[in-house]
Amino acid sequence: MPYSETFKDHLAHPRHVGELPEADVVAEETNPVCGDRLRLSLCLKGELISAARFLAYGCAPTLACGSVLTEMLEGMTRDEAAHITRADLTRALGGLPARKGHAAALAIETLRAALVEIDKQRS
Amino acid sequence: MRRVYLDHSATTPVDPRVVEAMLPYLTEIYGNASSVHHFGQEARAAVDRARHEVAALIGARPNETVFLSGGTEANNLAIRGIAEAAEQHGRHIITSQIEHSAVRGVCDALEKRGWEVTRLPVYDDGIVRVEDVIEALRDDTVLVTVMLANNEIGTIQPVAEIGRLVRERRAAGHRHLWLHTDAVQAAGRIPVGVEALGCDLLSLSAHKLYAPKGVGALYVRRGVRLVTQNVGGHQERERRAGTESVASIVAFGVAAELARTELDARAEHVRRLRDRFERGVAQSIEDVVFNGDAARRLPHLSNISFRYIEGEGLLINLDLQGIAVSTGSACSSGSLEPSPVIRALGRNDELARGSIRFSFGKDNTEEDVDYMLEVLPRAVENLRRLSPLYQRAQAERAACETQPVVAGN
Ligand SMILES: Cc1ncc(COP(=O)(O)O)c(C=O)c1O
Repeated sequence: MPYSETFKDHLAHPRHVGELPEADVVAEETNPVCGDRLRLSLCLKGELISAARFLAYGCAPTLACGSVLTEMLEGMTRDEAAHITRADLTRALGGLPARKGHAAALAIETLRAALVEIDKQRS
Repeated sequence: MRRVYLDHSATTPVDPRVVEAMLPYLTEIYGNASSVHHFGQEARAAVDRARHEVAALIGARPNETVFLSGGTEANNLAIRGIAEAAEQHGRHIITSQIEHSAVRGVCDALEKRGWEVTRLPVYDDGIVRVEDVIEALRDDTVLVTVMLANNEIGTIQPVAEIGRLVRERRAAGHRHLWLHTDAVQAAGRIPVGVEALGCDLLSLSAHKLYAPKGVGALYVRRGVRLVTQNVGGHQERERRAGTESVASIVAFGVAAELARTELDARAEHVRRLRDRFERGVAQSIEDVVFNGDAARRLPHLSNISFRYIEGEGLLINLDLQGIAVSTGSACSSGSLEPSPVIRALGRNDELARGSIRFSFGKDNTEEDVDYMLEVLPRAVENLRRLSPLYQRAQAERAACETQPVVAGN
């Protein structure tokens, strides 16, 4: 299988699974073509993302992206989070097969939706 | 780590008895079976013996058996060979919606070149109906190709009934109508006889019955004319050019003999393991759907959809714990290809994506089933924990349970 050990570790032991009852923002996006789905809940303390949780349905890379994304997000500021790219996620997972790039795209899309929600609440 | 191989429909390990029988043909007995000298004649004799054994497995005559590179080539030769030979009589082919890609691909390719293809439905039990074959038959139909047993859900198709129908039609004047069946998954697992089936062509692959990959056979009933696809040599009575892979053919012969003599014992063994596994799954995991008719299917195979999760994640999790299974769906470039077989049963995308095939073999043990039943429920549970579909369903269920129940009349 073309997946890295890091990838498999995320799949076997996904980090930050679930939802936050006290979440400040929740975003859920689906890939309309394949039906993959990612749900992200975040708690904020000032500028800081103090907690991040995810739920995911779909291909293995979609699950792993949810796991690695929430791991990155905790402790980041809103602006740092805005700079995370697909390439960052892919790299953090030790690479993804080219045909699975849509999983990282869905994760970034969900993150962007959450950030838009944060900004809306702030303005 | 404990390793449990439950993917015998993908391929099987080579039986040590088979390895032993083939080894001399890689070392001392290395002649080309077409050579006139002693070396060649030894190889020829070995190929002939293997041909007897492979023919015996399916109740055919040795000279009706063509050796080639495997199931895929057998299907190509059968379907293209008939389509091209019978072209002037018609360009219509009947097949099913659940054929292996080696049949599906050939039919698709012929369709692009102007043949018409009718793909029969299989209903929710995964089985083709003879009435649908009757309805699909036309004066210009030259070939019916329906697999004997499906590779993903194991359902056994009514090929013998279709065979009777085809013979009747032929007797009634529809002279250029032939029946092919892909028996790659069935052979060695259930009794297969070309007379009982009434088929004209039948595909076999050695690596599904404890012989090496890269060798197979096509049964061609005496009198059936095919256009040879691989030309450039006189081997296999002009039906398939290329130097015979003697050692592999010897292995196939021995494996076929073992499959024939051990068939009942093997079938009983895998059926017991499979049935115990399925009972265990039904007891320990909620929201599962067993795919394919429970009775009319191969004894070694179980196909299960686990709701709310996707097959690949489960496959990788099981692999990390030493268990090898397979899934029929693939998702690439964001375009989903849920298993066409599970979709053909009328299941939705979610069930088609969550389907896993478990296929047992003669060397699996009760302990393998125990280990599986220990690992699988946990793996499913872990994946469901992170599925938003599952969380939603659970929330809905909880809401229903807290609703006051209105008593019925
Ligand atoms: C039903 C069926 N037909 C054909 C094949 C192809 O056989 P081979 O791998 O020998 O080309 C397979 C193997 O997966 C199969 O399951």
